[in-house]
Amino acid sequence: MSAVPVNRNSGPAAEGATGDLASADETAIAADIRNRTHRRKTLLWTARLATLVIIVGGWQLLANAKIIDPFFWGKPSGIVTQLKNWVQNGTAYGSIWLQIWTTFKEAVLGFVIGVLAGVIVGVLLGQVRFLAEVASPYIKIANAIPRIVLGSLFTVALGLGIASKVSLASVLVFFVVFFNAFQGVREVDRNLLANARVLGASRLAVTRHVVLPSALTWIIASLHVAFGMAIIGAIVGEFLGAQKGLGLVIATAQNNFNPNGVFAAMFIIAVLALTAEGLIALLERRLMSWRPPSQTEAAAA
Amino acid sequence: MAQPTKEETVANTFAKRRRAVHGTRESGAAAVRPAQIELTGVTKRFVTPSGTMFTALRDVDMTIGAGKFCAVVGPSGCGKSTTLTMVAGLERPSAGTVQVGGQSVDGIAAGTGFMFQSDALMPWKTVLGNVALGPVFRNVPKKEAQAQAREWVRRVGLAGFEDHHPHQLSGGMRKRVSLAAALINNPSILLMDEPFGALDVQTKAMMSNELLALWEQARPSVIFVTHDLEEAIALADQVVVMTAGPGTVKAVYDIDLPRPRGAVQEIRFAPRFLELHHQIWASLREEVESAYTRTATVASAEGGRS
Repeated sequence: MSAVPVNRNSGPAAEGATGDLASADETAIAADIRNRTHRRKTLLWTARLATLVIIVGGWQLLANAKIIDPFFWGKPSGIVTQLKNWVQNGTAYGSIWLQIWTTFKEAVLGFVIGVLAGVIVGVLLGQVRFLAEVASPYIKIANAIPRIVLGSLFTVALGLGIASKVSLASVLVFFVVFFNAFQGVREVDRNLLANARVLGASRLAVTRHVVLPSALTWIIASLHVAFGMAIIGAIVGEFLGAQKGLGLVIATAQNNFNPNGVFAAMFIIAVLALTAEGLIALLERRLMSWRPPSQTEAAAA
Repeated sequence: MAQPTKEETVANTFAKRRRAVHGTRESGAAAVRPAQIELTGVTKRFVTPSGTMFTALRDVDMTIGAGKFCAVVGPSGCGKSTTLTMVAGLERPSAGTVQVGGQSVDGIAAGTGFMFQSDALMPWKTVLGNVALGPVFRNVPKKEAQAQAREWVRRVGLAGFEDHHPHQLSGGMRKRVSLAAALINNPSILLMDEPFGALDVQTKAMMSNELLALWEQARPSVIFVTHDLEEAIALADQVVVMTAGPGTVKAVYDIDLPRPRGAVQEIRFAPRFLELHHQIWASLREEVESAYTRTATVASAEGGRS
């Protein structure tokens, strides 16, 4: 794609090159580029819609023709019916909104606790070399353990309530965020550190003004994965034992040989995750506004 | 504030410790009092990750008078930058002493300005935020720090760019920001590590003129590391030639070109400039050649590490 004329504006803004020499010729070229971008966007969305229609429609057709057995694999129309049913009549454990709210609450709490702990420990170990060296083998071991199994422990120790799910979610989140924060702190530009120290920064000031903002790029990148982890933690926790929540709804559907129920719950979870992802992206844009726009963003603008 | 929070107490402790170590120079931070820089028998060794010893500097003796502009030239890898980090207090010499203003340097001292070879600007801060870092780190109230920064941004000719981020500026403009950030604390010594090395020739000349103009206003003592001999002679009162590594001082030349020097682009053609250039290059050339043959041999043996 020819991004050359767009590049001209995204270069060093120093010269203030807004094209004050824009002749009629250049306006025509600009209009042409706008048109082309517009056409490309339309094509893109058409193709995306077509993909959806083919997958969902194909599934429905194949299920109707019994090529895919709907008893095991469900079918789109059945999933929609199941969703409607939940909204109208609720689940076996109360309204569907209560189930969604429960899972969401567990995931968000676990996410927040895990992120805070991950950032604090990561920044601390990243800055204090000795601590990092002491902790390093244990962190490796802890990372090698399949942490999802901790869910069993938490369920037994903390009961069927929200605490066991939040604990599992935060443990899963912690490791993702921790590793990124740790790495981010270690990657801080030596020059920036030396510069801040020469300018008279105390250790705290160095952390606040140099280390944290610098590591933030890494930390934010980890949040996308981390929220997925939080949801997994909450769902698995509910699977292992709960009184309400989407995980319990899925487990019940499984026991009743109801694949449509599993898919319907999956769909709800995906909506939840996408919403959270959108919020994180928004946060990212706010915090990272200083970053130069990447080539693709500049071209899309 | 009757009851300081824990954070404040920690911050105070750090500030106090700094003040205790560099008491006299801290008090002189407001009014510039150029300080003499003196290196005596300085040797610096590093231990490489593989455990072998590497001597970067050997027996360096150097004196830069208060308010003098000293340029250090030498082949790449002769320890010029190491010298600067020791004067700044970022590193300690393995042997010998470094004194600034009659006090031995142990740790980072107030009154030091440092300009790095690569941009040391915080990419997430605006021009104003970057320039204001010095006062902010010294606990100057935010409003006042910003006012000072605004003034310095204006002085380096960037008025109107206060709210830009570094990535929106050209290389020369970023250097101006660095210069303002280094000078805002009114340093008594200014250390510059090939600050204009990455600039194109024209921008470099412009920046040199600007540096001279700013320096002549406040006159901190300067050590300016470069490998550009013309730049060194055009700017400095004194040019120190260092030997190929392990670096030591080979010769010191006084540059008696009158000040103010005016445009560096023109002084290059003054007869006295050419004479000095000829003389110093004869000395520098041997070192450059010896360093070159050494790295060339190493490169052909190791497969290319400069």
